[in-house]
Amino acid sequence: MAEEKYPINIWINEERFKQLEKAGLSDMCEEMLAGLKVFRVFANDAQRDKILKVFPTAKFDSATTKSIELLPKDVKDAIFVKCVEKKSMDVLDDFLKSY
Amino acid sequence: MAEIGHGGKEIVERIMEPAQAKSKIQNLAKIPVRSQIANEIIGIAYGFFSPLQGFMGKADVESVCKNMKLANGVVWSIPILFDLSDEEIKQYGINKGASVVLTYNDNPMAIMEVEEIFDYDRKSMAAAVYGTDDPKHPGCSRTYAYKDKFIGGKITLINRPKINPPYDPYFVPPLELRKKFKDKGWVRVVAHQTRNVPHTGHEWLMKGAWFQTYGELSIEKPIVGVLVNAIIGEKRKGDYIDESIILTQDELRKSGYFGDHNHLTTLTFWDMRYAGPREAVFHAALRTNLGLTHHMYGRDHAGVGTYYGPYDAHHMLEKIAKDLAIVPVYSMNWLYCPHCGEVTSEGLCNHKKEWQKFSGTLIRSIVMDGVKPPRLIFRPEVFDLVMECADKYGFGSPFVTDDYLAKRIPVFEIPPM
Ligand SMILES: [Zn+2]
Repeated sequence: MAEEKYPINIWINEERFKQLEKAGLSDMCEEMLAGLKVFRVFANDAQRDKILKVFPTAKFDSATTKSIELLPKDVKDAIFVKCVEKKSMDVLDDFLKSY
Repeated sequence: MAEIGHGGKEIVERIMEPAQAKSKIQNLAKIPVRSQIANEIIGIAYGFFSPLQGFMGKADVESVCKNMKLANGVVWSIPILFDLSDEEIKQYGINKGASVVLTYNDNPMAIMEVEEIFDYDRKSMAAAVYGTDDPKHPGCSRTYAYKDKFIGGKITLINRPKINPPYDPYFVPPLELRKKFKDKGWVRVVAHQTRNVPHTGHEWLMKGAWFQTYGELSIEKPIVGVLVNAIIGEKRKGDYIDESIILTQDELRKSGYFGDHNHLTTLTFWDMRYAGPREAVFHAALRTNLGLTHHMYGRDHAGVGTYYGPYDAHHMLEKIAKDLAIVPVYSMNWLYCPHCGEVTSEGLCNHKKEWQKFSGTLIRSIVMDGVKPPRLIFRPEVFDLVMECADKYGFGSPFVTDDYLAKRIPVFEIPPM
């Protein structure tokens, strides 16, 4: 069985889309609403558990979308910046190291 | 000329000048009231709740619950009640026939003539008003929180509320608002009920209602307006902060999505009951008093959870249409269609498979992340203002937090007399 993956939804407006294009990641976005896109960074079980532990406001939507919601804005911003820097979506281990 | 309000009754402000009241209240019992009661005193005294002249007595409550009418036959859907505990009644020595002073912020606010002290079964009241006695329904839980007894009697405001900035320009009582409409030359005005920061789905609800209201009227001069009447009352964590709601609604006019010739924003103090159809009827009475001719109702108006069907409110309004002096205008939802490249009505566009619906939840999640949504969905001026309000009034958050509840600027205060 494939490992379960839990998305963190990062909203992508025009400005952020340009940054993703430069990082070669723009194909990974999904269209949501009138040009607003969503960029999904996926966590595995261990990463999800650590995120929920170190960011107590975060909630795991176990019922419907299996997504990690209500992460603080600056945390999501930092994850986005890391993706752009590393030109990769596989940044969570690196990101969580400092917590 | 008399201003006629809901139920065909003249709107009369029940306000006594403080100078005159000062000597009258010296020897009266002073009873502190909570914000819900203070909100309703303002509603009664300025005529927002006309023809009510005070808090309801038992005959009115009974009739409102059973027939959705006051004892005098005027349609009314939600009991307006002043409650006290048995202990308080004893402590303040409240008797039928006495007058008492209701205080707020430790200052005298209103005189109440006690006409009746009575009991009423809360469960049957909840079932009649909300169609359920489920304590999880926020209206029911408000009903169950009433103390032992209800005090019925007329209210006279003796000390006007001081409305704090930034709310002050938006408090426009019925008689003053009716004058404003006349000055603007509006012959029809349609109400937009809100407790929200507007996205373009809301904006189009207003625009659609404006078209519907214009109907057969001449288009040579602007003679139809939209009144955004924001409900300001008890807040729940996660709601948009009040400052954002009132200022962003008005921003749609200031930024030119509407103009002075067709758009005005005001507020009404009221703690939402989420009574669905009965709240819709209450809104009809309230907005009739405010001088409106039409009222926009969307799907599941003033509902909560799954207690009401999406068209229950419409059916209720149709049933009592002949007793209302305001015309209901029904609106379908608006959505974004990438094929059309625009916000459109679900009743118009047929690219159903391509539709991108925007839920409030989705928009909130975007706003919470501080990401500016596309202008077709959320106006940039509105977004910037939401962020500015978060800094200025929301202790950093666009949404209600514990901090906000504890430290926010009160919307109004009762000053010393
Ligand atoms: Zn279309």
